[in-house]
Amino acid sequence: MQRTVPSLPLAPSVKVKLLHAGFQLATDLTDMSPLQLCKAAGISQEEAVEVLQMLRCDTQSHQERAATESITALDLLHKEQAQGSIVTFSSRLDDVLGGGVPVGKTTEICGAPGIGKTQLCMQLAVDVQIPVCFGGLGGKALYIDTEGSFVVQRVADMAEAAVKHCTLLAEDTEQKQALEELTVEKVLSSFFLVRCHDYVELLAEVYLLPDFLAEHPEVRLVIIDSIAFPFRHDFEDLSQRTRLLNGLAQQLIQIATQHSVAVVLSNHMTTRLLNGQSKLVPSLGESWGHTATQRLILHWEGSKRLASLYKSPSQMEATIQYQITVQGFRDAPDKLRPTVELCAVSSLSGNHSKRPRMEDQS
Amino acid sequence: MDWEHLDLNPRIIAAVKKANFRSAKDILCVSGPDLQRLTHLSKSDVQRLHCAVAAAVRKSPAVTALQLMKGECPALEAGHRLSFACPVLDRLMRGGLPLRGITELAGESAAGKTQFCLQLCLSVQYPQENGGLSSGAVYICTEDSFPIKRLRQLITQQPRLRPDLPSSLISSIRFSDNIYIEHTADLESLQACVSQRVPVLLKRGLVRLVVVDSVAALFRSEFQADEAIKRSRHLLTFSSTLHRLSHCYGAPVLCVNQVTDVVDGPNPGRCDYGLVESKVLPALGIAWANQVMVRLMLRRLEGCVESDERSSAVRKLEVVFAPHLPRADCLCGVWEEGVRGIPDDGLTLQPQSC
Repeated sequence: MQRTVPSLPLAPSVKVKLLHAGFQLATDLTDMSPLQLCKAAGISQEEAVEVLQMLRCDTQSHQERAATESITALDLLHKEQAQGSIVTFSSRLDDVLGGGVPVGKTTEICGAPGIGKTQLCMQLAVDVQIPVCFGGLGGKALYIDTEGSFVVQRVADMAEAAVKHCTLLAEDTEQKQALEELTVEKVLSSFFLVRCHDYVELLAEVYLLPDFLAEHPEVRLVIIDSIAFPFRHDFEDLSQRTRLLNGLAQQLIQIATQHSVAVVLSNHMTTRLLNGQSKLVPSLGESWGHTATQRLILHWEGSKRLASLYKSPSQMEATIQYQITVQGFRDAPDKLRPTVELCAVSSLSGNHSKRPRMEDQS
Repeated sequence: MDWEHLDLNPRIIAAVKKANFRSAKDILCVSGPDLQRLTHLSKSDVQRLHCAVAAAVRKSPAVTALQLMKGECPALEAGHRLSFACPVLDRLMRGGLPLRGITELAGESAAGKTQFCLQLCLSVQYPQENGGLSSGAVYICTEDSFPIKRLRQLITQQPRLRPDLPSSLISSIRFSDNIYIEHTADLESLQACVSQRVPVLLKRGLVRLVVVDSVAALFRSEFQADEAIKRSRHLLTFSSTLHRLSHCYGAPVLCVNQVTDVVDGPNPGRCDYGLVESKVLPALGIAWANQVMVRLMLRRLEGCVESDERSSAVRKLEVVFAPHLPRADCLCGVWEEGVRGIPDDGLTLQPQSC
């Protein structure tokens, strides 16, 4: 495949000058010397040297790149299944999500104040650390808090409950060995927190994410709680807000795929007037709704808390009931199934994405 | 912003200065390709520029939850809360008011919200080991005038409310000197007070509690029914100022809110926070609710409660939502010395008129 000049990673002014001089493809440039290029295109000597150096390393990696450029759908399927997902400790929600929050994708959690968005985010940050032999990912979590509603006491409660749960499940020696290392202190030490006070700090944090993830390759989950808060005020120009949000969304999707992390964003709800009736919709506008891969909406129905999968490329829309207990985010108690504890147990002892869907009738 | 201090190639810094960028915000809000076009730098240079500016903006690196638990980052997690001066109420709130974030207390009129505020204004003045913050409070009145007589009564009755503290400690604090009262009659003066006068008091360490009594009054009166968007914008500006102050100085902010009647039953277009049996909901809608970290509701119930042969109308303090608290409530009464929670095994509850 021929590379054209506009697709090269050069400064735009240099590219314009090269195009004006008649160079359309990268191969047109390879045989020139710096002086010739300088005279022909009207660029400075240093710029010409830079262009030719860049082309030289480019052609070397071109061969390797050609081999890995395309990947079959079957390979992609295997890759996705191998990446795994993060359980939420609510087996019904895990079923709806197809195993849990998927790694390599962005998931948005919308809900009214007090419904449990921060609770679910904290629960996921604890659950990502469950060892692999228990069906978890054994990874770390980065929690970007923009609202200041992170309370470490609550995470400690959830961590304790998670460790206790794993202790009840441990059967074979591998699990018992993993359990020795799994203490509340270890869980808390694998939980990174960053506070962002406004949207500029949030933008800065996202620019620094690739470096952070390179330094801490065990991080499998990045949470931003919430993405709405810093963008709800301070914006006279809504089009700038849309532009910034779109840029953020693109960066986050790129980070999710390149570094194999799950990105979870929480969003507020706002009222919108539709046909004279007011409705609760996720905030940040219509175009933001397109950016997350999956969207989960948490809402009240009377005194029940419900979670609806609103948008997903691979799962069906469904609604389940949940509750928030001292231990964290859990299934709502079911009158028909008194052995709710056991069911939650069985969902942890296997990796959902590897088991065929038919077996999941427990 | 001082570009020279960034860890970058001087060529990049020169390009940034030439393109007239003044602050880090300008650089971070512009996308990669736009920045390339404005500075004539290549893609990798622009990436390096973004990373260097972002690193300069970031105030502190990531900390682990374990460090927070151990108290190694007092700026993020203080490790203590502002006590209510009553063990039952403190137990409901797991220690008291959180130091960072907006706490809202909503209720009908005559429920006792102002009593809570006054009690906290006194409680904040005690030293940290007694549940206070060794500092004063600023009380912003938007409705009635400040209840100065009641405050004086509470001050004289402090030894009765806090029998566990030595009387020498209580008499050594000059309570009324440390409470700064502001009256704001309209929205403009409220915003001016909160963005100019309150930060000065906080910076000098004179106060560490901000009470707004009440938030609803001015916002409900100055806007017509169809000016919802304008009202929302003012509310958000106001709450973001409070939020910033609270986090910067570690000062709890308590906002008193009114309630609205629920006339039409459950409505999917309105969030009712799971309060199904309630005939009232906190005012100001979901825009304000999104800014609040802890929401408490105070209700006046029928019946009386007795203590030492004095009686008081029963109130119920309910936690509607909070990131660290379950939905729970407790009964309390208002007496001469202040508000006291009633423990479960408690005092006789008599369903009689009083």
